[in-house]
Amino acid sequence: MNNKLISIQEAVAAYTWDGMTYCNGAALPVGSDSIIFGFEMARQNRKDLNVICHCGSQQINLLGAVGAVKRIEVGFSGLEVYGFAAGLNRAVAAGKTRIEDYSNGAMAIRLFGGAMNWPFVPATVNIHNDQQKCSCDFPDEYPCSKKIPLITDPFTGKKYGAFRTIQPDVAAIHVTMADIHGNAIMLGTEWNRFEMSRASKKVVLVADRIVDTDCMRQYPNLTRIISEVVDAVVYWPFASYPQASCGLYDSDEEMMFGMNKMMKTDEDTETFCKKWINGWNTREEYQELIGREKIEKISDTATAFLLDPYRKWIKDDAEIAELEKRAKE
Amino acid sequence: MEYTKQEFMAIATGREIRDNELIILGVGLSMLAGYFAKRNHAPNLRAFTEGGVYGATPVGGLPWGIECNRISSNAVSFTNAIDALGFLVSSGRTDNGVIGAAQVDKYGNVNTTGIWDEPPWKLGRYVPPRIRLNGSGGANDIAVGCKRYLIMASHESRRFMERVDYVSSPGYLDGGDARKKAGFVGGGPSAIISTLGILRPNPETKEFFLDAYFPFTSVEEIKDSTGWHLKVSPDVKQVPEPSERELKNLREVDATGSLRKSG
Repeated sequence: MNNKLISIQEAVAAYTWDGMTYCNGAALPVGSDSIIFGFEMARQNRKDLNVICHCGSQQINLLGAVGAVKRIEVGFSGLEVYGFAAGLNRAVAAGKTRIEDYSNGAMAIRLFGGAMNWPFVPATVNIHNDQQKCSCDFPDEYPCSKKIPLITDPFTGKKYGAFRTIQPDVAAIHVTMADIHGNAIMLGTEWNRFEMSRASKKVVLVADRIVDTDCMRQYPNLTRIISEVVDAVVYWPFASYPQASCGLYDSDEEMMFGMNKMMKTDEDTETFCKKWINGWNTREEYQELIGREKIEKISDTATAFLLDPYRKWIKDDAEIAELEKRAKE
Repeated sequence: MEYTKQEFMAIATGREIRDNELIILGVGLSMLAGYFAKRNHAPNLRAFTEGGVYGATPVGGLPWGIECNRISSNAVSFTNAIDALGFLVSSGRTDNGVIGAAQVDKYGNVNTTGIWDEPPWKLGRYVPPRIRLNGSGGANDIAVGCKRYLIMASHESRRFMERVDYVSSPGYLDGGDARKKAGFVGGGPSAIISTLGILRPNPETKEFFLDAYFPFTSVEEIKDSTGWHLKVSPDVKQVPEPSERELKNLREVDATGSLRKSG
């Protein structure tokens, strides 16, 4: 098996491009998401993205605010108790981002169908209401007949909605821990990451911790993402910051509110980007930005015990630096 | 006794939740109402979130989200959206759910997607909303699949509308047997609990009527705060005040006092 470790800058340069269909995971608004990958996409000035975003997150909030999102398919675009996603909503209201609404359940089964290589999936959700009737792709037709067409069950004659399945060009998936080959274990809700990892044409893992493969051999039932479907692995502690990573750190309440507030205007977004997008080059510099005190605070999580069984396989930074060097050879 | 309208709404919603139910809880008020019920009178409630966080209770205050670490430190199982919203909800297995509404109409249809100057159904074409909200999230799946569900909403005439701008989560659609004809798995909303009172659907027409009002308001105030001609039950009654025990149990779940800050 290959050593797939790669830097965040290289991963974004190699696996993203303007106009692509990009999928972020877990796309949870408070918990797991590959936030740092989206930050780096903003730095590399990716644009015209077609985003598959099961739920909103600070990643898509930022990419929306900087005008990188041309179109988005989403089940829930907000930040839960942290509020509406100011940057994304601003782009939608200004007509810069077209938004195609589904429910969370529909997004999950559409990824499942993509993983199965099916053309569509039948379901009774979303039909007979405005997720079916309204489409940003066919705005002149109301009620829309093309977005979720009704089909007939050949066995019972009952009507179902037919949902177009999803096969994103690339998914950047946040995981708690991965080995250098791309086997990964996630703590907390998996949300849609299992299906997403199988539906996407290319997969980049963004891992808070790198572990030895012996960890997966001890808990093979929990290795829900396997190296077979993974193209690259990025090691990045606090990859989901300011959101949470179950077992490792809580969401940073101050930064969650503060960042969202800054997404409200172009000026403040620019100020935010100066620091958080362009103000670092390495993992160490990024952690300096977060600050030692804040890192201690968010790392004091009630979920820390969930990581206990895996700790002995976690590699330290010096070991990982060596592995990264070897990956380039 | 001192309490906020939001606290009363959470307690009134919690009272609608029965022991031994399998229930899916959304973010915010929904979770507080659900875990209040579990602590107060429904110890055998089996609760899960749409992320498949099963068997957990909040630790450290109101969870910031359905996947927050505050709801992830004592779970029995973590699965995923397909399991929670698909295998447990869309299958018809789940007894009850709680969803919020930015707008709700007389048939219990809920809008959480956006606010339009002229909504698509009136305009005959889709245009982006003037104010984008969040979308349906898992609420549409809950509204379609749960055996019954509860709606929570702030009671104002601009929110309680004859027809909502956008149906994000279906109630009884156009009323009568429209929902049945649509072929949904679940039975529909059993109550709307607002900041002023409790509305229930007429068994035939499915139009929501006023069943009970909170002690600090009146039937007239509620009618004035409703955007359709609200029918009132001949047996309309006052909702009992929260008891000391209920408030204590709610505040133990709402450890950070989120419902006391919101007035």
